[in-house]
Amino acid sequence: MAGADSAAADPKGAPGQGAPRGGSGRRAVGRKAAGRKAVGRNAVGRPSAAWALPGVLFFVCFAVAPMLLVGYLAFTDWDGIGSPQWTGTDNWSRLWHDPDMRQAVWLSLLLTVLTWLVQTPIALLLGVWAAGRQRNRAVLSAIFFLPLLASSVALALVWKQLLDPNFGLIAEIGPALGFEDGDLLGDPQGALGAILFVTAWQFIPLHTLIYQGGARAIPRSLYDAAAIDGAGTVRQFFSITLPQLRNTVVTSSVIMVVGALTFFDTVLILTKGGPGTDTSIVPFLMYKNGFQAFDLGYASAVAALLVVVATAVSLLLVRLTGFSAMRSTREGM
Amino acid sequence: MTDVLHQRPEADRTTGKAAPPSKPRRAGLPRLLKGSGPRRPNYPAGLASLIWLVIVGAPLYVLVATTFRTRDGYIDDGPLALPTHPTLANYDRVLSSHFFSYLGNTLVVTAVCAAIVIVLSVTVGYAVVRARSRMSRRVFQIFLLGLAIPSQAVIIPIYLVITKLQLYDTLLAVILPTAAFSLPVSVLILAGTMRDIDEELYESMALDGAGPTRVLLRLVVPMSRAGISTVGVYSALHAWNGFMFPLILTQSRSNRVLTLGLYDYVGEFRVDTPALLTAVVLSIVPIFVVYLFARRQLINGLMGVGGK
Amino acid sequence: MTMRTPRSRSILRASTLAAALLLATTTLTACGSSGPGGSDDDSIDVWVYQDASTKVQRAVVERFNKTSKVKAKLTEVPGEGYSDKMRTSMGTPNAPDVFFNWGGGSISDFVKEDMLVDLGPSFKKDPELQKAFIPSILKAGAVNNTYYGIPMRGMQPVILFYNKKVFQDAGAQPPKSWDDLLGLINTFKKKGVTPFALAGTDPWTELMWVEYLVDRYGGAEVFKRIQSGDASGWDDPAVLKTAETIKELVDRGTFGKNYKSVNYTADGASTLFAKGKAAMHLMGSWEYANQKANQPDFAKSGLGWTTFPAIPDGNGDPKNVVGNPTNYWSVNAKTKGKKRDAAIEFVKFAAKQDYSKDLIANGDVPATSDATSLLGKHENPTYAQFQYDMVREAPSFTLSWDQALSAKNTPALHTNIQKLFNGQLSPTGFVTAMQKDIK
Repeated sequence: MAGADSAAADPKGAPGQGAPRGGSGRRAVGRKAAGRKAVGRNAVGRPSAAWALPGVLFFVCFAVAPMLLVGYLAFTDWDGIGSPQWTGTDNWSRLWHDPDMRQAVWLSLLLTVLTWLVQTPIALLLGVWAAGRQRNRAVLSAIFFLPLLASSVALALVWKQLLDPNFGLIAEIGPALGFEDGDLLGDPQGALGAILFVTAWQFIPLHTLIYQGGARAIPRSLYDAAAIDGAGTVRQFFSITLPQLRNTVVTSSVIMVVGALTFFDTVLILTKGGPGTDTSIVPFLMYKNGFQAFDLGYASAVAALLVVVATAVSLLLVRLTGFSAMRSTREGM
Repeated sequence: MTDVLHQRPEADRTTGKAAPPSKPRRAGLPRLLKGSGPRRPNYPAGLASLIWLVIVGAPLYVLVATTFRTRDGYIDDGPLALPTHPTLANYDRVLSSHFFSYLGNTLVVTAVCAAIVIVLSVTVGYAVVRARSRMSRRVFQIFLLGLAIPSQAVIIPIYLVITKLQLYDTLLAVILPTAAFSLPVSVLILAGTMRDIDEELYESMALDGAGPTRVLLRLVVPMSRAGISTVGVYSALHAWNGFMFPLILTQSRSNRVLTLGLYDYVGEFRVDTPALLTAVVLSIVPIFVVYLFARRQLINGLMGVGGK
Repeated sequence: MTMRTPRSRSILRASTLAAALLLATTTLTACGSSGPGGSDDDSIDVWVYQDASTKVQRAVVERFNKTSKVKAKLTEVPGEGYSDKMRTSMGTPNAPDVFFNWGGGSISDFVKEDMLVDLGPSFKKDPELQKAFIPSILKAGAVNNTYYGIPMRGMQPVILFYNKKVFQDAGAQPPKSWDDLLGLINTFKKKGVTPFALAGTDPWTELMWVEYLVDRYGGAEVFKRIQSGDASGWDDPAVLKTAETIKELVDRGTFGKNYKSVNYTADGASTLFAKGKAAMHLMGSWEYANQKANQPDFAKSGLGWTTFPAIPDGNGDPKNVVGNPTNYWSVNAKTKGKKRDAAIEFVKFAAKQDYSKDLIANGDVPATSDATSLLGKHENPTYAQFQYDMVREAPSFTLSWDQALSAKNTPALHTNIQKLFNGQLSPTGFVTAMQKDIK
């Protein structure tokens, strides 16, 4: 831990070891600002809370109210044509016993975890590398950035074509990769893997960018000190870069997880939830029940569950990674 | 995105001291981009990046090369063969298949969404950061709650609401919910940016007798330009790429946006893969042009979503 | 209260801002959405499933608009999501005035809610109109013995197509019996050709196998019971035998190895078949028009066809046919007054001879009574005659299950069938799943 120690010893390495301290240091700055606010306690020029009104009304109309409506519809039977009929907890007991639903929850969680495991190391490594200064890096970073410019629909369509077992790229290179018949999308693991790969292909650039931003903000002095101590690249990475990027990791992970729970576009186009139901993640199951079977009441129950799962997972993640620190920052405002 | 909460002037992260905390981050950023990061070349990461280059580059090559091929050539010779008789027929076919109408709709949706989100998140952010009342914290909490809600989960009630408002199959049907779901992140980003504005500046404005509107326009907006452009980029990309709302809330060709148009080209072009891929390439062109001219803003905007 | 003034002023400002914003939004979008979704006063919105046959509807819209003050506006909905989109929009004020459907379950929910115009009175007023169509086909579009649909496309029996060249190369003959079919599977496997093209990502193509097998094993009665809501229909031994046969076919390599990721809606299976990578294809009669659009030479000289063979010990009549009798136009009951008159006038155009001629020219066999006289004009008269005879002589024509059952059941039906073909459900598991899911 020589690297970290020397970094802490460095008079300029202010955030100290790791981010928690850095976080508290920053909070202190926040407090100071709050303190200063207290000095100028005049209301002149301050807006009233009414300034938030248009935004809040808009958000309530098209996000909060629909959310509450989902809660209501989840207790009804509604085919989209007539009007919703109250059926009590019927949908919920059906949900509880629905094997497709269990599978969907499992697949969503699996896909989320795998997405994180695949994307984080690659994006971290690429981001740190791209934070450097050589010229060719700029060109390469520009190429890496390209998938980010296309919509998930466009990319899913491209990959759907490339993965066609008879006419696509997979038909030619599949045998070399161990897919004799190019039947990647017909295989449960293969289809899930394809979704994982396509979404990684699409989103790693975004996370690379986030890590690149994070890595650039790490003070060079930390590395200088570590270099004097004789720490190598790998050691520097683990003792300086990684701890310094802690908050960036949290940010990137939250985006990744909430995103992975809702890979709807890719699933719809690439696999239609198949083979069978083996890639039917929760949002897809909701779509299928809602806008193919027109069992909109039941689909609302699925949607309500999706909200609960998404909220729970992000809260859990945020808790595990020290979101409480953030919360106090917020309260200090 | 939550990391935005941590935002504060970059300057003190580099120097480590409480050094001029009032310095707007806009000024601090370019300097940082040049002068930091690990000094030694990172070989493992360099190798990984080369591998990734192949993974990203090869499909992109196939994508672009295919657009110059004929359907029969693609089917008979396989996707990797070189286009021996390059043709522009695919571009012709796509451009005459309502492409510009779809593009126009997407541009309207994107511009209006970004405008709504910017105006609303600036006013909300301003109230959250500066208003005295306890209400403003409540407001902030409402938006925080919205962060984790996947927009897909509310598609059914949105369908109901939009239908009741007689907006089904209009661009407004897509714009309203899309903008609403861009608000939480945007408010967070802007609240973070606005909190960095030095109190003294507010005080001096107040001494001049400036009202809230003037403070907003003269001080807050100019000082939050970085945050506003992040919000603009974020909400515009969000609207540009949106799929589920248009899929369910619009129908007719005249209201079809580009993502939905691409999806529907599958049924129209069927086995004509080169035409379909041409449509994909053409759908990326407009945003690629933006990228060429505003690369830095776009990238900084996206980095801003991550919150540095 | 000194606070009052600034606060109310800022409320005022904020609401002015909100109003301005709303105004700007609506103006901007109004420019963008100039094409209205069919609620104009002077036009009727006509929805049709987009595929190789759509040009016939394009032509009729043009003809109709020359004669009518109220213009028809054709909306071509991509096939992939047609039923879903149609159903979604029927719940909104922007529903189409006239729309393409499959009769039966595809419209039964609308009938329940009184959303369709009863065409009975129009038939009474205009007996010629009723006589224009083959009665059994007209009837197939009825719900509860009330007519809601006018036949508007060709007959669509499911036909066993084969690739003549591949057969020639293998010295094979089209199958006349089930044993022939099993023999052919071996022949083609040895030659490295997939015996049957199958689009496993579009489960409705797999459904065709189930429909024929159940019919051949147990007769048309089995599905009639299921359709009438009698869940015990799934207990019929014919269903289990069908499931077992399918498993056996799959295990034999009948569909090759990568059928699970082959599609039909983007012509994957049809292209494989036309390019000689697969020898046979069980598909609706529209396959001809489809091949004609993509591989005209193949459609003209390479495409062969025959009926689905009988199965040893099967109770079903081997002359029975499954598929879609045809497609229908239905008129939305919300369309009133002048527009309704125009809409009814428009659907009547499907009974005219120039419409039938267009269908014939497109490679379809119309469901009109005068079709016999037109068959000779088909570019492939033998195909047209074959199809016509097949339908006319069939003791029973079972509507595709996914159209006969209500929308609520379709996804489960498709999923279970796909799982059966993928080996994710055993034959008994399939029967249990159907009993449970289809209500």
